[in-house]
Amino acid sequence: MKTRTKGQAVFRFAQRSEQHVRWVCFWIAGLGLLWLWDLFFLNSPALSLVRTALFNSLLAGLLVVFFSMTLGWGTGLLVYSLEKRKNTLPYIVVTFVFNLIRSLPQIVGILLGYVLLTALIVQDILRSPFLQLVSMSFVVSLFVFLEVMDLIRERIAHYKQLDFFDAMLCCGIKESRIVNVEILRKNSLAHLVHKGVAVFGMALFLQCSIDFILSVGLSTEVSSTNFPATLGSMLARMDSKQDILAISMVFSDPSYVTSLFTRHLQGLNIAFALVFTLVCAYNIANGLVRRYHL
Amino acid sequence: MQRKITEHIGSLAFVAIVFAVLLVLLKQREAADRQARVKAVAPYLSIPGCDFGNPRDRALFNETLNLFRPASPRANDTLISAMESYRQSQFTDPNLKTGAGEQGLTWHVLGRLSLMYLQFVLVYGIVLALTFYGAQSLGIYRFVRMKQGRGSYLEEFLHLVSGPKVRGRTPSRIMEASFLLLKTFLKGAAYAILFSPAYVIGYSFKASFETDSLLFMILLGVVSNGLLVNYANKFYTLLATENRKGYVETALVKNLSGEFFWNAPGGIAYRSILSLPRHFPGHVLQHIYLNARHQYFPTLKEQASFLITGLIIIEMALNIQGHLCYELLQNILYRQYDVVLTILFGIFLLVKVTDILVDVRHHREGLRYENKN
Amino acid sequence: MDQFTFDIKIVADGKPLVDIRDFSLQRNRVTILLGESGIGKSLSSRGIYGFLDRSELTVTVNGLAYEDYLHTDQVRGIRRDGFFVFQEPSSHLNPLMTLADQIGEGSFSGVPGMPEVLRTLWEGTSGEDLDSILSIYPKPYRPSGGEKQRILLAMALEKIDMLPDSPTPEALFVFDEPSGSLDNQYRDLFLSLLLDRYRKRPFTVLLITHDYSMISRISGWHRDIMDKVQFRELTRGECGLAFHDFQPGTYTAWVDDLRRSAESRRAPHGQEPLLTIEPRLEVFGRTLVITKDPGGKIPERLAVPPGRMVFVKAPSGTGKTTLVKRVMGLIQEGAFEATLKGMPLTGETPRRFWQEQVWGKRMTMVFQHADEALNMHSTMRKTLLGLPLRVPLTSKGLSRLIGDLFEGSEAGVLLDKNIRLLSGGQKQRLNLLRGLALDTDVLILDEPLNGLDFESATKVISMLLRKMEAGMGLLVISHNEEIFDALAGADQTYYLHAV
Repeated sequence: MKTRTKGQAVFRFAQRSEQHVRWVCFWIAGLGLLWLWDLFFLNSPALSLVRTALFNSLLAGLLVVFFSMTLGWGTGLLVYSLEKRKNTLPYIVVTFVFNLIRSLPQIVGILLGYVLLTALIVQDILRSPFLQLVSMSFVVSLFVFLEVMDLIRERIAHYKQLDFFDAMLCCGIKESRIVNVEILRKNSLAHLVHKGVAVFGMALFLQCSIDFILSVGLSTEVSSTNFPATLGSMLARMDSKQDILAISMVFSDPSYVTSLFTRHLQGLNIAFALVFTLVCAYNIANGLVRRYHL
Repeated sequence: MQRKITEHIGSLAFVAIVFAVLLVLLKQREAADRQARVKAVAPYLSIPGCDFGNPRDRALFNETLNLFRPASPRANDTLISAMESYRQSQFTDPNLKTGAGEQGLTWHVLGRLSLMYLQFVLVYGIVLALTFYGAQSLGIYRFVRMKQGRGSYLEEFLHLVSGPKVRGRTPSRIMEASFLLLKTFLKGAAYAILFSPAYVIGYSFKASFETDSLLFMILLGVVSNGLLVNYANKFYTLLATENRKGYVETALVKNLSGEFFWNAPGGIAYRSILSLPRHFPGHVLQHIYLNARHQYFPTLKEQASFLITGLIIIEMALNIQGHLCYELLQNILYRQYDVVLTILFGIFLLVKVTDILVDVRHHREGLRYENKN
Repeated sequence: MDQFTFDIKIVADGKPLVDIRDFSLQRNRVTILLGESGIGKSLSSRGIYGFLDRSELTVTVNGLAYEDYLHTDQVRGIRRDGFFVFQEPSSHLNPLMTLADQIGEGSFSGVPGMPEVLRTLWEGTSGEDLDSILSIYPKPYRPSGGEKQRILLAMALEKIDMLPDSPTPEALFVFDEPSGSLDNQYRDLFLSLLLDRYRKRPFTVLLITHDYSMISRISGWHRDIMDKVQFRELTRGECGLAFHDFQPGTYTAWVDDLRRSAESRRAPHGQEPLLTIEPRLEVFGRTLVITKDPGGKIPERLAVPPGRMVFVKAPSGTGKTTLVKRVMGLIQEGAFEATLKGMPLTGETPRRFWQEQVWGKRMTMVFQHADEALNMHSTMRKTLLGLPLRVPLTSKGLSRLIGDLFEGSEAGVLLDKNIRLLSGGQKQRLNLLRGLALDTDVLILDEPLNGLDFESATKVISMLLRKMEAGMGLLVISHNEEIFDALAGADQTYYLHAV
């Protein structure tokens, strides 16, 4: 009876709660179930590696969000003030540089950044794994922050078009306060959170992709062993690749599907954690759009 | 518009100059590094009976160094590292490669790269067209479902399960609930594929299917990396935003159809979503679609950049030989920086050309809508 | 049945927005519906017509769930035979379709009469201008707001002309703020065209408006059908929303009172004006000229004396808002000369000067759209306490300030409520309070009575009069010409022309 009531409560919660809340809970529950499954079926060295990789990837994603928000906010205000002052040359130079970064495929830019990071690691400048992770996140954020900058500029432009901006100026309120507090903090928080979720998903995808590519062997100097373990680097390991390759055995022998979840757990685990997180980030972002009419 | 075109051309010129300068600097540095490496280790290379490929000999050499120079362990370690570095460079020195192709950017290499580049452009063009079309179709489908008042299959399942029980209808309820659960599961699986990085899908199919083919690359480019689903979402968001605007209400007042059920009288036909060009005559969706499409078009620029990222990941991660990005990978490994920079410039050029074409077309369309034609 | 009767309940996120019992309209009568903005007039009308979004709102009409209500014959009939002209004409025309395509689609496709109706509403404009307008894609400034409004009204009139001779009991024509963007000339023309059609063949009209001067117009020029016109007001009482009849005489008597009392309030001559503006100014490549005569022949320097109200009139789209923004230094391009308390203000005055010496200190402005001017994510308390006042507001001061425009019990409830949850009228009152709280020497008001019901409008005017008595100078632009003509008087009325 208690289980049934609890089940009904869960159903009612799932039905009534907002989409973004539902998907956050779903994400946490999904990773939790995965964790439980691993405890039973994955050997402890692999479990430890997977745990570290997942933690590093999530932490890196959050760091990318932090750096992107900071850079985006700062550069957004910079471009706004240059545009306002009709200071043509600095504005042209700055927008030229940003458009150049925008035109560069992100993976190429991040790859070049990783080459630089490797040089710093090899020269013992970046020693601690945490500092390496922070640097990796910073490199990724350099090719993602422009989305945040565009959002900041768009929000300021939106309110400048309305009477909002002028009405506040006429009341003697300082422009910096209008932009930073009234527009961005009070009226754009939902937009920024939504963008943060999207950036988190993008960061995870890019970082895992670059780690995977590095593992293919870009050079003797640039190697995934230089960097802290992430989901991408774990996926690139030979044993994980074998696990992913095993999926195609299901096409010829459907009964093999049960063995996949016990014998090929490491690779599947990582692939699932990655894809599941991306799907959840997408749905959380959509939920925020629906809830706040973004 | 002129300013935009000038900016695009300016950035192409800027990147070309930067790459040229980089190339010269890298070549000079490579030559200097090689000389420095050889200079550091030259006196020790010809020690009789010492094979630095043998770990025992390397260990003996290390201990000997520490015996003779006990006060400078760091210098000894540096020397060992230099020896190691010199040995590794023997493997990557293109001058020492045998049985391989030509070194550097020769006409023959350039010709080969050009063919690969054309193939890359072809794949890129097809994938871009398919995702542009597919994103709009999916976006419209999702929008129509939203207007039909239908939530996700999971929401419908929860609604069904928590609804009041009607006597005698339990078996059909169970069937319906099971069907909804199955649809939820299939939708989840579809999302998993659409969001999966290309290398995960590629490796999943590698053992059973030919994954080196152009067709597989195109399919992978379209369905993986979250490209299709994210841009479908963007288009859906534009449709939903336009739906809230006043002109839609006025269109309804003028008795344009606001019926969104499939194939109902005045409703939307499935084929109208898939047809090209898309028209929804006599329906408010025509108004909404026109505006969403106009705003969606410039996103092709960021879509192009993201798509190329995806194609690079596909070619590199799956080691597809004879393709441009695989060639890029190989040349980075063998430090053929002239080839690397040429390929990178070609990729950048592709993005820029897309940007220019999109800007020109959007500008022309904009002129018409600004009544400046 | 000789009336439309609706019980409407609209709920959003669990909060009731509208709960009206007996929203009734007499069939084949003209109902003028008054009431403050945001109280639920438009929302209820949209609900009746079937335009509400079911995914965001829970709506019941006459006890039926909205989905079921939409499938009733009544709604089908209303939508088939009637028409709805919405507020804010700018957003009701598709910017990516030509006007000609938009006026010729749906029930108007193949209808030959449409351009004629439109030409009638374009009276005073040459036919060529109308033809060129129809071939364009509508943009924010072309056609102007008034022109867009006329296009939408023309569609409604054409739909009336399409009514069959046989009785069409479900034909309901709703006009939501039809004169919002219209000058008086076109407002009066529209009323004539509508009521002429009504005289020929009665139909049901619901006209929602804050333009109380329509009352004077109808009672003055269409006296013959006054028995067919009912004036009703939707107000918020202790028991929720309720309709009651509005006596037209209440308004006309008040205006007469204003006119009489304005005569006695003439400030003594010889006082230095607080604000002066030279007659010619350039902005966005256009030249605007201020004159004393409606014909535009006598350019005159505009002067705002202390304790007086100056009223600037101009046809819609001329540039009244542009003028006041230029005067406020919000637009900083083009030639311009003014003085504020003896301080010169020109096109070269640096922004820093405006920030330190003018904005919120000696001069301020209350903008037209409270929805845009206020921070929707703030509260009344934070909005007022956050002002950079010379003497910070205490809680007593705050209560005194808001007590002028909000009732005691109402004020207590609203003070800490999120602004986006306030009604339109409440927002407009807050918008005005914010400007008045700064207590500057000059206050510029752009459509100060926008969205207010009669009671609130009288309170606002009283407050403005008190401020004038304390020496504040007011510069007003408004469509409520009847009211501000009475307050300003002919000697303080100027005209703006675009050259």
